[in-house]
Amino acid sequence: MSRAAPVAETRPVPRALESAVAREEGIALHLRGLCKSFGTARVLEDVDFSVRAGEIHALLGENGAGKSTLMNILGGIYAADSGGVEIAGRAVSINAPAQALSLGIGMVHQHFRLAGPFTARENVALAAGALPELRGRGRLEARLSEAMARTGLEVPLDRPVERLSVADRQRIEILKALSLGARILILDEPTAVLTDEEAGRLLALMRKLAEDGHAIVFITHKLREVIAAGDRVSVLRRGRMVLEGRPVAGIDAETLARAMMGEEAVARTDPGPAAPRREPGEVLLSAEALSVAADAGQGGVHAVSLSLSAGEIAGIAGVGGNGQQELAEALVGLRPMSAGRLVLKGRELSSAPVGARRDLGLRYIPSDRARFALALNAPLSHNIAAGEVRTGALGRALLSPGRLRALAARLIAAFDIAGATAGGARPVRLLSGGNAQKAVLARELDDAARLIIAHSPTRGLDVAACRHVHDRLLEAAGRGAAVLIISEDIEEIMALSDTIHVMSRGRLTSPQGPRPDRAAIGRLMLGHA
Amino acid sequence: MTLAFLTAWAGAVPGYMTPLLLASIGLILCERAGVLNLGIEGIMAGAAMAGAVAALAGLQPARALAAGTGAGLLVSVPFIIAVVVFRAPMIPAGLALVAIGLGASGALGRAAAHKNFAGLGNVGFPEALTGLPLVGRMLFAQDAVVYLALIVAGRASFVLFRTRAGLQLRAVGEDPATADASGVDVQLHQLAACIVGCALIGLAGAYLSVVGSRTWTEGMVAGRGWIALALVVFAQWSPLRAIAGAAVFASADALIPRLQTLGVDVPVYLLSMLPYVLTIGVLVLFAALGWHRQGEPGHLGRAYIRQDR
Amino acid sequence: MLERVTLERRATAPFWLSVATYLGAVLFALGLSLIILTATGVPRDALFQELVMEVFFDRDGLARTLTAATPMILVGLSAALCLRLKFWNIGIEGQLLLGGIFATTVALYDIGGAMRLPVMMLAAAAGGALWIALPLLLRLRLGVSEVIVTLLLSKVAFLLLQHMVFGPFRDPTHNFPSSPVLDAVERLPRLGFGNVHAGLFLALAAAGLCGLMVHRLRFGFAANLTGDNPDAARSLGFPTVRIMVVVILLGGAMAGLAGGVVVAGTEYRLTQQIGLFATFNGIVVAALARNEPLAVPLVAFLLAGLAVASGSLKVFYGVSEGIILTIKGVILLSLVTAQFFTTFRVTLDRTGTTERAA
Repeated sequence: MSRAAPVAETRPVPRALESAVAREEGIALHLRGLCKSFGTARVLEDVDFSVRAGEIHALLGENGAGKSTLMNILGGIYAADSGGVEIAGRAVSINAPAQALSLGIGMVHQHFRLAGPFTARENVALAAGALPELRGRGRLEARLSEAMARTGLEVPLDRPVERLSVADRQRIEILKALSLGARILILDEPTAVLTDEEAGRLLALMRKLAEDGHAIVFITHKLREVIAAGDRVSVLRRGRMVLEGRPVAGIDAETLARAMMGEEAVARTDPGPAAPRREPGEVLLSAEALSVAADAGQGGVHAVSLSLSAGEIAGIAGVGGNGQQELAEALVGLRPMSAGRLVLKGRELSSAPVGARRDLGLRYIPSDRARFALALNAPLSHNIAAGEVRTGALGRALLSPGRLRALAARLIAAFDIAGATAGGARPVRLLSGGNAQKAVLARELDDAARLIIAHSPTRGLDVAACRHVHDRLLEAAGRGAAVLIISEDIEEIMALSDTIHVMSRGRLTSPQGPRPDRAAIGRLMLGHA
Repeated sequence: MTLAFLTAWAGAVPGYMTPLLLASIGLILCERAGVLNLGIEGIMAGAAMAGAVAALAGLQPARALAAGTGAGLLVSVPFIIAVVVFRAPMIPAGLALVAIGLGASGALGRAAAHKNFAGLGNVGFPEALTGLPLVGRMLFAQDAVVYLALIVAGRASFVLFRTRAGLQLRAVGEDPATADASGVDVQLHQLAACIVGCALIGLAGAYLSVVGSRTWTEGMVAGRGWIALALVVFAQWSPLRAIAGAAVFASADALIPRLQTLGVDVPVYLLSMLPYVLTIGVLVLFAALGWHRQGEPGHLGRAYIRQDR
Repeated sequence: MLERVTLERRATAPFWLSVATYLGAVLFALGLSLIILTATGVPRDALFQELVMEVFFDRDGLARTLTAATPMILVGLSAALCLRLKFWNIGIEGQLLLGGIFATTVALYDIGGAMRLPVMMLAAAAGGALWIALPLLLRLRLGVSEVIVTLLLSKVAFLLLQHMVFGPFRDPTHNFPSSPVLDAVERLPRLGFGNVHAGLFLALAAAGLCGLMVHRLRFGFAANLTGDNPDAARSLGFPTVRIMVVVILLGGAMAGLAGGVVVAGTEYRLTQQIGLFATFNGIVVAALARNEPLAVPLVAFLLAGLAVASGSLKVFYGVSEGIILTIKGVILLSLVTAQFFTTFRVTLDRTGTTERAA
C-alpha cells in the first residue's frame, strides 16, 4: 500500500525509548488496506496501521469510528473483507480467537472478556487452553507468577472475578495476556473505567511494558492521555485513518481534535449568526438534589439540581458512564429517584409513572434507540404513531387505521424519512440509523412536546443526519419547548445550548460565565473525569 | 412409625432417587453448556421403551440398559443438531423432542406393553449388611445402577469443576463470548455436553423400565423429567448437590404409596400431587430468598453466534 | 470444524425467503411423515385418501375435523397470545383441565339457572386464567421462569382431574372413571352437521376477537409493542405490567374455555382424556400460525384433519396414535430449525474467498 511508506519515513524516536527501539528494531504489527462492511454499512475503509515493539501507539477516535471493529479483526472475532495483517514482518491470517492468542496478540477489551463467576486463575487457564505449550498446570502457574512479578500487579487469584473491582479485573486481563505470552497488547479505552490515580498507574505500567519490548496499542478518546502517554498517534474517523502514525511530540491537542471530529464538526462550533436566543419563559422543569442510587456497575447520580425554562436549550456534557443514563432515566420516570424532588410544570412528579410525565409534555430521545425507543420488528407507522396511540388521540378503544396511516404519512413527509413506504408499513429495522432516529424525532417532537430529554441524539449518525437532528431540536425550542441535551460531543453541546453543565461522577457542575469556552468545559470533563 | 416402616421406606428411596439423579446430572451437563433441554421427558420415554423391548427380547439387564441409553441418545440427535448447529430456539425444539419421544415410544412399543420381565437384581451384599436396621436396605440392598449413579455424580462434579474440559464447558454456558475469545470452540463443547447429557438422561429412562417397574407402560415417565428440570435449579447446577435434591424428592415419592398403609386418609391423587406441589413450593422459596439464580449458567437457553459477542 | 462457517444475523430476510423457508420446512416434515406412515404399513395410494379426502372432503369426516378443530383453535390462541408477549405457556393442558373441572362443577351443582351454559363457559375461562395466574405472578414478582412452573402445574391439574373423576365426580353407573353425563341444558347445541357444536362459533369468535384486539384495539397495539420491545413500551409510558397480566390471563382463559368446550360440546362429561396433548397442540398451532390469531383457525383446522385421520389410520391400518404425535413433533422441529435460514446469513470462508450460501 502506498501509504505505508511515509509512515516508515517519519520514524519517530520515542522519548526515552532509544534503547528499546535499538534492541528490538522493526514493526511488531502491520495492517494494510483493511476493509470491513456489515451489510451495506462500511465500517472500515482501507485502513493502514502499524505498531513497533517498544512503543505506545495511541489510536484515537470517536464512538462508532471503527476502533472496536478493528480490534475484533485482530482478535479473530471478525474476518476482514480485504486487506492484510503482518506480524513481525510475516503475513498472517487470523481466523479464530485461538489464532490471535497464539500469534502473541493480547487484548484488554473495554467490556472485559472474563467469565464473572470464575476466579482469575480459572479465567487465565481458560484462555491458556488455546496454547498447547501452556497445558499442564505448573507451567501456567509459573507464567502467571512471573507476569505478576514483572508487572508488580497484585490481584486476588482465587475469588470470583465478578466480586473484584473494575481495576482488579483490568489487571487480570493484563496478566492473562502476559501469561499467554502476548507481545502485542491492545487496550480498548482502558482508562474509561478507572479513577485518576488508577489511570496514572496503568499508564506507568504501559510504559514499563513498552520498555520491556512489548508493542502497545492504546485505544482512547481522551486527548490528554494521548499527549501524556503516547509515542505515536493515529486517528480513526468514520472508518478511515485520517492521521496515521504521527509522533506525539510534534502535535497539539487542537490538531488531534480536528482530526478526530472532522473539520465540519469544528466549524460547527462557530455559533453562526448566534442563534436568536429567546427570552426564557416560565420554568418547566426543576430538579432539586435529585439522586439515583448506584447499582451494580453503575455509579448513580448525586444531588443534581437543574432548572429548565420554556424555550431554553440546556446541555450536559461529559464522558459517558458518569451518571448520564441514570439521570435521563430518572427524569423520564424509568428509574426511581433515591432522594430529591422533581417538579414538572409546577407539578411534583418525583414518583409519577412515565405516562403521567408524558401527559405533561415530557418527551425522551434515548441514547440507545434500538433498546428504548423503537420496536424494530414493528412497522414504522406503529413506531411513529405510538405516542399518539397512547394518549388515545387515534381512537380511545378502537384505533382508526386510516388516521394512524395518515399521521404516519404526514410525519414521514415532514421529517423526510427515507426508505419508508408511504403508509410506513415496512418494519423499522430496515431503516438506516439516521432515518430510524428521524422516526424517533417524528414521534417525540410533536406539538404537545414541552420538555425534551435528548440523550446523545446524534450518536452514530452522519453529518447530514446530525444537522437534521440539531435543526429539529432548535425548532422545538423555538416553539417554546425546553430541551435538555445530554451528549459526549462537546461541539454539539456548545453549538446548541443556552446553558451548559458538565456531568462527572454522577455530579453536575457548571462552568463560570455566560459562554464558557471549550477549554473550560474540557477541564471540567477531562480534568476531573 | 415403626422401625420396620422406616427401614422399608429408606430402602425404597434409592430406587426412586436414581432415575431423578441421573436425569438431573444429564440436564446439568447440557445446561452448563448453555443448552436448555426440555426434551428430557421424551428422551426418557424413548429410552424406557427401548430398554423394555431389549429386555423382553432376552438381553441381559445391563445390555438392555445400554440399549435404552442408546435409544435415548438416538431420539435426541435431531434436537441436538437443531439446537447446536442450527441454533433453533431451544424451548420449542425441546417440546418437539418430547412429542417425538413420547409418540415414537408409544407407537413402537405397543407390542411390549404390560409384559413383565426379569430386570436387574440387587448387588449381592452379605446378609449381615443388608439386615442392618434402618440403613441396611438403603445402603446395601440396591441394584448396581444406584451405586453407578452416585459415581457418575462424583465424576461429573470432578470433570465440571476440576478439569480444563469442565472449565471450558462451564465457560461456554456462562459466557460464550469470553469462551470464544479464549479460543474455546463453543459448538463443539455444546455437542459433547449434549451427547453425554442425553445419554445419561437415556439411562435414567431405561432404569425406570429395566430396573424399576420391570415392565413397560405408555406414559410411565409421568413427569419425572419435569421434576428433574426443577431439581437442577435446586441443585444450583451442581451434580453433588443434585444427590441431596434427588434424595429429598425420592423420599417424598417413596412415602406416598406407604402413607396409605399407615392409615393416612388422604385421597391418592391428591397425595400424588405432593412432589409437584413441593417442587413449586421450594422453587418459590428459593426465588424469595434470591437463590434460584445461583449457579445458573449466564447464557442458558440462548443461542450464541460469534458476531453477537 | 465449524469455524470456517461464519454466521451473521440478518437485519432483514427477503419475503420470498421467509415463505420458502416456511413452506420448505412444512413440506420437509410432511414428506418425512409420509415416509414414516408408509413404513408403518399404510399403502401409499391410501395416504391421500385418508389424510385429505376423508377428513376435509367427506361430509362425516369434515364434521369430525371441525369438531376436533374447535378446542384446537382455543389452545392455539392460548399459546399464541402468551408467545406474543414472550411468555412460554407450557401448561396449556393444566389450564384446559381446570376449565373442564370448573365447567363440570357448575353443571353438577346446577349453578346459574337458565344461564347455566354461559356460566359454565365463564367458569371454564376463569379456571384457565386462575391456573396461569400463579406462574405469571411468580415471573413478574420473583423472576421465576414460567417454563418449569407451568409444566409442573399441568401435572398437578391432571392429578386433580383424576381425583375428581375417581372421587367426588365419579359416576358410579359407568365403568370408566368419569363424571355423570351433563343435562341437555348444559350441552352446547349441535349445529345439525355431525357432532359440530356451537363451541365452533365460540372458538371462531374468540379468534376473531383476538384478531381484532391485536390489529385494531388500542390495547392490542400496546400489547404488540410490549411484546416486541418491553423497554421501549415502558419508555413510551405504556403500563407494561398491566398489559402483560391482562394478555396472559386471557391466554389462560382461552385454554380454560377449550376445556369447557370439550366437556360441554363433545364429551358431555368430565373424562381423563379431555386434555391429551393440549399443550403441544397449542404450541404447534401457534408456531404454524406464527402467533397470528386470525391464522389460528385455519392451522387448527388442518391439524385437526391430521388428528381425525389418525383415528381411521388406527382402525384400518393399525397405525398407533403415537405416530401422529411424532409427526407433529417433526413438523414443529423442522419449522423451528428452518428459522435458521431466515435468522442468519451463512458465509463460508475459504482462504480469502467468500462464498454466500442461503
